[in-house]
Amino acid sequence: MSIVRTESLTKVYGDVGQPIPAVHDVDLTVDEGEFVAIMGPSGSGKSTLLYLLGGLDKPTSGKVWLRDSDIDALDDDALSRLRRNQVGFVFQFFNLIPVLTAQENVAIPLILDGMPRARALKQADEALARVGLADRATHRPTELSGGQQQRVALARALVTKPSVILADEPTGNLDSRSSDDVVQMLRRAVDDWKQTLVLVTHDSRVAAFADRIVFLKDGKIVDDNRLKGKGNADQIREQLSKMVLS
Amino acid sequence: MTTAHPSNFGSTVWQMTLMGLRYLRGRKLRTVLTTLAIVFGVAMIFAINLILPSMQEAFAQTMTSVTGADLTVTSVSGESFDPEAVLPTVSGIDQVGAVTGILHRQFSLPTLGNSSLGDTAQIDLVGIDPATIEDVHQFVVSDGRFLEPGDSGKALLPAGIAELAPELHVGTTFPLITAGGLKIYNVVGLMAEQGDLSSPQIYVTLADAQAAFNQPGLINTVEVSLAPGADRDAVAANIQQALGDSYTLDQGDSSSNTLAAMQVGLAMFDVLGLLALFLGAFLIFNTFRTVVVERRHDLGMLRAVGATRQQITLLIVIESLIQGLIGTAIGLLVGYLMALGMITAFGQIASNFFHRGDLSLQFSLPGLLGAAAIGLATALIAGYLPARTAGRTAPLEALRPSTPANLMHAARWSLIGGAVVMILGVLLLLTGKQGAAGGAILFLMGMVVAAPGLVIPVARLISPLLSLGFAREGDIARGNLVRQPGRAAITGSTLMIGLATLVMIAALVLSFAALINSLADANFSSDLILLPQSIAVYDTVVGADENLANRVRALPEVQDVGTMRYASSVTADGQALQVMGINPDDYSKVASFTVNEGTPEEAFAALGSDRNALFTAIALSTVGLQVGDDFVLQTAEGPQTYHVAGVANDLFTFKIAAIFISQANLAADFHKTEDVMLLINLVPGADKDAALANMQNILTDYPQFTAHLTGEYKQELADVTSGALVAFYGVAFLILIPAALGLLNTLTINILERTREIGVVRAVGGSRKQVRRIVTAEALLLGLFGAAMGVLSGVAMSYGFIAAFGTVGWDMPYFFPLAGIIAAVVVGVLLALFAAVLPARNAARLDIIRALQYE
Ligand SMILES: Nc1ncnc2c1ncn2[C@@H]1O[C@H](COP(=O)(O)OP(=O)(O)OP(=O)(O)O)[C@@H](O)[C@H]1O
Ligand SMILES: [Mg+2]
Repeated sequence: MSIVRTESLTKVYGDVGQPIPAVHDVDLTVDEGEFVAIMGPSGSGKSTLLYLLGGLDKPTSGKVWLRDSDIDALDDDALSRLRRNQVGFVFQFFNLIPVLTAQENVAIPLILDGMPRARALKQADEALARVGLADRATHRPTELSGGQQQRVALARALVTKPSVILADEPTGNLDSRSSDDVVQMLRRAVDDWKQTLVLVTHDSRVAAFADRIVFLKDGKIVDDNRLKGKGNADQIREQLSKMVLS
Repeated sequence: MTTAHPSNFGSTVWQMTLMGLRYLRGRKLRTVLTTLAIVFGVAMIFAINLILPSMQEAFAQTMTSVTGADLTVTSVSGESFDPEAVLPTVSGIDQVGAVTGILHRQFSLPTLGNSSLGDTAQIDLVGIDPATIEDVHQFVVSDGRFLEPGDSGKALLPAGIAELAPELHVGTTFPLITAGGLKIYNVVGLMAEQGDLSSPQIYVTLADAQAAFNQPGLINTVEVSLAPGADRDAVAANIQQALGDSYTLDQGDSSSNTLAAMQVGLAMFDVLGLLALFLGAFLIFNTFRTVVVERRHDLGMLRAVGATRQQITLLIVIESLIQGLIGTAIGLLVGYLMALGMITAFGQIASNFFHRGDLSLQFSLPGLLGAAAIGLATALIAGYLPARTAGRTAPLEALRPSTPANLMHAARWSLIGGAVVMILGVLLLLTGKQGAAGGAILFLMGMVVAAPGLVIPVARLISPLLSLGFAREGDIARGNLVRQPGRAAITGSTLMIGLATLVMIAALVLSFAALINSLADANFSSDLILLPQSIAVYDTVVGADENLANRVRALPEVQDVGTMRYASSVTADGQALQVMGINPDDYSKVASFTVNEGTPEEAFAALGSDRNALFTAIALSTVGLQVGDDFVLQTAEGPQTYHVAGVANDLFTFKIAAIFISQANLAADFHKTEDVMLLINLVPGADKDAALANMQNILTDYPQFTAHLTGEYKQELADVTSGALVAFYGVAFLILIPAALGLLNTLTINILERTREIGVVRAVGGSRKQVRRIVTAEALLLGLFGAAMGVLSGVAMSYGFIAAFGTVGWDMPYFFPLAGIIAAVVVGVLLALFAAVLPARNAARLDIIRALQYE
């Protein structure tokens, strides 16, 4: 069953005189339980595509369906609720709110949804435990390492049990060890907790964990590769560099 | 997937409150500065709300303490009346027990060196009918005896008089001013009752009181006692019906002139409090606009994880409400302490003047709630706009590096919009008197609107000046300022309002003083003037009967004597008017009027016939009449129709709602024949000093008057006027406090925002001194910017308001307020330098490493 589906999705930046098509005519379907990596050269439209999928940005044309709802038809409030309940985001930077503790940062989507605070915090604790940070619940983001911060962000994405988790270079800022921790956590989210995951990355070692790799270039899908978890990082790197050169 | 919990709104609000508190704690200095403005405003308003009722209470006590009766009847005009017109009617009414007539007046005693009433400053002389008073009102005599019919020169005093004048006992005597000169009274008894020491009641016979006020056969109060078991309201209604509109029941004299004057004074403080809150609103607005930009990442991230626009708006509103709450709470406390301080200070004055030491603070819940509501509303309203902007933060803001919005574009539009409003304001200013004040306000508003667009050009204009003292640092400071034109504009606007007020007050003071001078010159051509202790509060004055004028007239040096008399009155619709009586033939020889139309001679001539009245410009506009109209005046003889014969002002009446009528009419309709002021012309070539000495000799019998050479008096008056007007400068300076807070706030915000930049400057070798100089230069630029705008709008405001005063009949000359302008610039610069001290030091002391890590 498809969780995310796009149809001729296009996003054009810039003015009429000098249009920059960041995403161009993309048809993409992500099935339930799938772990999709999106790769491509810098400026190929990966982030833009991810934002469109999560309702953070409006397409210039084309459509995005999340489960059965047509995102374009939603007003701002409904879209906010959709992001709150159906989508989990992990970004490369600025993921956490500095004045909130780790626990509160994780609980914030639940609290915004009106869940009683005590219950939300309890669920947050469970999510933090899943990412191995049970003992850091009351710490502020500034008291956490970069990798820990990304794991808190992941816990926040997991806590609502969303339809899809969208991660934009969640490991882009981390050293290789922290990066491995985070990616393994992501893999477990798919395998153990049956989450659907779309991840943007530059790193072929990260992409190798995915079930499927979608290559973007100049806003278009140029390759869609099903690896079923048997991806090989070198192979992926090679494919990527070929594409950049072509 | 979670399900929605729309019912649990509280959870979200609580979390947002926690966040708000933490954000506020993270920016302590800024929070304190923003909150202070609210504290200041709420404190002012609350203090006034506390003091006013206390004062009213105190005065109401003084005013109503005469009556121990079930009901009292007075005339609507407040003047005396014939007892035959009232007593028989009232006593004939069902269920009325007894009635008695009283003539009493409260008046200040002249400060005689050796007054035998000791420290008493004011008394209530009560003339009673000993035959009937005790049926209405119980007296317990503790020493001596009660008054008896036929007593003359006998007085009954309250026990408390012993505190004021210990030497008074039964059997001793004391002199008292009367319209017929000093009269000696014999103390025949003391009452058990302590009495009101602020204005002790001295009981004499009705005949003595009538003589003292030169009102033979008249009374001004009827006291009524009810038959046992009577229905008070029904009897009151019957009395009212029987007596008609000219009389009123149970009206305590609480609308005294003194109280009214004090209320005006206190209302000024209320206005000041509101102004402070208005500026406070500016500060909050400014702060939260910055907050929204500063928190772009946080807000965007909240949006990305599902916060709706309203939730983001709510977050910011909650935060500004927290500040409002804290500010209001502290403000209420400070206000209470302020009120306590003021009432203590006032109590001192009051006990000196009125011997009233028991002035206590009346706690008022509505006052508290009102002040609190205003404080919170300010925070709410000021926080709402930035909060709405915050709600519009796009989720992607969290991920983008900061993109300066199209500031220049917005600034240009604000400049155009503001200029249009300002031009409209100037047109209104120039078209005429009616709209001039509105034009001035419009100009000021236009200035506020245009301010963001003015920042850059004005900064460019000023900075060459600055580069003299600051070189490179000046350029950097200008760059910093121009980066946030909106913020600089708001700060400049707060300062502008303060400084414009300063300029306006300076101009008004000049013009007002000139007006007084010209009125004094035009009106008082006489050589000498005899004045009562207090001018313009004639109802607490005991004047003189015609003997004084006759004795003065008989002096060899004197050629002409003109007198002024007084009565209080109300129009048919209840507007209070002070009625001044003159004899046009005599008065025109010693004084003149300033008239808007025709000549003073015509005005005097009009008073010679019929029931004609000349109105002061203020009286005409309060009552809403035109020259030529007829109107009904409540007199001691019932309602009488008078005719508006013209408009006339003089020095003593131009500020009040007063009318002039002939003394013949005043005597006939108001039974008033006391002179409250005498103007005297000497025979040409007469020795002024000798005349003055003779005059003073006569006045030993009338110590309620003092004699002045008119020239000297004018000088004295000019001094008093400018002294009083200096108080207005105090007001202007109070308004500058929030402006100073605004400056401090902006400078602090600017530095916080640039913490990392300052770190870089220091890291690449900038010295502490240089950092300090940059901040100081920035403050100076802001100060000069505010001063420039303040001077411009101050000139507009002063022009507009002086023109507007013309519409109420005060034709004030306009003086360009050069001194005020210089003062405004100096004050602006000083404030800026003062406000810069702390932020400059903080910036210079920043730890380089921590500054570089600052997010
Ligand atoms: N807000 C914007 N305004 C204008 N152009 C934009 C905007 N955001 C992105 N673009 C352009 O759209 C294109 C795609 O950008 P996008 O951020 O999606 O690339 P990306 O694949 O995520 O790159 P990277 O790997 O460097 O993160 C780029 O050419 C970029 O310059
Ligand atoms: Mg990207």
